[in-house]
Amino acid sequence: MSTRALMRKLEDFEAPRVVPLGGNLYGASFFLMKLLPARFMLERAADQGLLRPGATICESSSGTFGLALAMLAVQHGYRLILVSDWALDRNLHRRLIELGAEVTIVDRPAPSGGLQQARLDRLQGYLQDVSGSYWPSQYYNPDNPLSYGKVAEQLVDRLGRVDCLIGPVGSGGSMSGTSRYLRTLFPDLYAIGVDTPNSVLFGQPSGKLNLSGLGGNILPSNVDHSQFDEVHWLVPAEAFHATHDLHRQHGLFMGPTSGAAYRVAKWWSRNNPGKTVVALFPDEGHRYAETVYDEDWLEKIAGWSDPPRASPFTVSTPMAPMSGWSRFAWDRRSLDDVLAHASDQHDTAADPRADSARSGA
Amino acid sequence: MPIGAGYAEAIGHHGELVQGLFEDDGAQMRRALVSLPCRQLRSKARFTANNSDQLRVIPASREKARRAAELTVNAFGRSGIGADLQIDSNIPLSRGMGSSTADVLASILAVLDWLGIEAASDDVMQIAVSAETACDSTLFRQQAVLFAHRDGVVMESFRRPLPPIDFISIDTTPGATVDTLDFEPARYDQLEIETFRPLRGLLRTAIKNADARMLGRVATASARINERFLPKPRLAEIETIGARFDAIGFQVAHSGTVVGLMFDASDLKAPVNIERATAALRQSGFEPAIFRH
Ligand SMILES: Cc1ncc(COP(=O)(O)O)c(C=O)c1O
Repeated sequence: MSTRALMRKLEDFEAPRVVPLGGNLYGASFFLMKLLPARFMLERAADQGLLRPGATICESSSGTFGLALAMLAVQHGYRLILVSDWALDRNLHRRLIELGAEVTIVDRPAPSGGLQQARLDRLQGYLQDVSGSYWPSQYYNPDNPLSYGKVAEQLVDRLGRVDCLIGPVGSGGSMSGTSRYLRTLFPDLYAIGVDTPNSVLFGQPSGKLNLSGLGGNILPSNVDHSQFDEVHWLVPAEAFHATHDLHRQHGLFMGPTSGAAYRVAKWWSRNNPGKTVVALFPDEGHRYAETVYDEDWLEKIAGWSDPPRASPFTVSTPMAPMSGWSRFAWDRRSLDDVLAHASDQHDTAADPRADSARSGA
Repeated sequence: MPIGAGYAEAIGHHGELVQGLFEDDGAQMRRALVSLPCRQLRSKARFTANNSDQLRVIPASREKARRAAELTVNAFGRSGIGADLQIDSNIPLSRGMGSSTADVLASILAVLDWLGIEAASDDVMQIAVSAETACDSTLFRQQAVLFAHRDGVVMESFRRPLPPIDFISIDTTPGATVDTLDFEPARYDQLEIETFRPLRGLLRTAIKNADARMLGRVATASARINERFLPKPRLAEIETIGARFDAIGFQVAHSGTVVGLMFDASDLKAPVNIERATAALRQSGFEPAIFRH
């Protein structure tokens, strides 16, 4: 008999619902995708003696990973300290507090690495001060991508062969992990990551980000670039439009990263009829009721009243200025490999609207 | 003492379609497998009671079969019976093809036949595991199962039989042998353990849809994981030949030496492809043998 630590009380919430979206396109719609990697990381940490019963978990998050940790912490008796910033939705904030999480807000960006770095600095302080504390570290912990074997199982169990997987990339865990597992069965799987301009994940110059869950200003080791055949970048307004489309056309009330994945998946699916395509939809829309689903809030978003691009603009380097939906053939290369190539390509076609893009972003 | 005889047969297998570590309903990890049954390989057992007080097996080397018969006799309250247990098998020994399990199962079933008892397969498997530590899943033929071969329990029943598979058998090291039980169980790393989940998912779909091609992918993935623990010499060459003749994948004996190049038996072109692949294998110096489902 093994004596594995088990934290399975919420396990039924981990699996996505597989929703047909027309043709051979399916949405893998999660209640809260991060419950799976969070549970997996905590179980493994407990197994390895890094997380002791009743100990304190410390993490930096203003989103779904923090919520998942809070739900697990209350179920399994851990104390939780979350470092967050102003972007934390006030309803989510209340919910975290009701779950007993101690939420601390960082309001000043670090000189380099921005708010994300400032949060990590604050987090280091807690990890030093609280004895026996444990940091799941979703951006660097290899157990994050490792946890997605279960999602791959659920997809093939339901759909059999999967030809293309499309999803948003934040820590990189879900797309890198799920693609890798699916490829043990379907080596030709086509994987498409969805990022946003100004995110460094796939080589954009760092800049201000306005779409939480998508992209970042620090490159996480859990982004395994060699898994991606293609990368797309959507500006926030495009992701928000797509989120509404997903709701209006299919009744799925999801978050904006789901919308971003939906936009790209629908386009790819239309151009590749007969291929089984799965888009990952990481969370539900409730947390965005006062933002993405609020017309007044949307009015203030750059580009909201412009007609969204119907198809992506193909860029020849991921460093190109991007004013809207763009795509690049990544070809399962490393980031270094792609960037080394990109520097040879200055004179290629430029995004038609890119000059105005920087000011708008 | 009742005099009389009982008779039974059990089949061998050609290694496994899948073998790995899987989570059961209680989140417990268990080693489990799905055998690739091979009806041409058989062990036949005749159990003939007599007035001696000894249970003898012929040939005498089949000690596990004798123990299995004895355990069965004891389990059903006839201990002390004298009998001859005659085993006649065409299953190659020590290739990971289930010769020992087939002997054990045939012996248990022969005793039950003699006793006139219809036992549940769970009970049969429990006796089999106590006679020989580990056991394959060949007993389950109407419904494919994921079988915990060291615990003797069914982890998952797939409700349908395996789709029909023809295969070319290749012994990758004809001289060498692997003792199934001495062979140290694989120490899978976390990536491998989690990889068994999607394999199990596709196994389920493949059996449900009677989709041999998907089953081929599952078997191939499992065989690749096994390469780290019991590599099969020249596997890449076998794979290349398979790809030329539309093989649906390959499977291995995870504790043996054989490799099977798999073909979809419901594909009309399979017989021709099998002939051609066999010729190509022979040309490369292998000694292939064809098994039809
Ligand atoms: C809502 C949402 N979508 C998508 C992602 C990206 O997933 P991953 O971190 O697995 O790349 C996240 C990550 O935090 C998220 O919170």
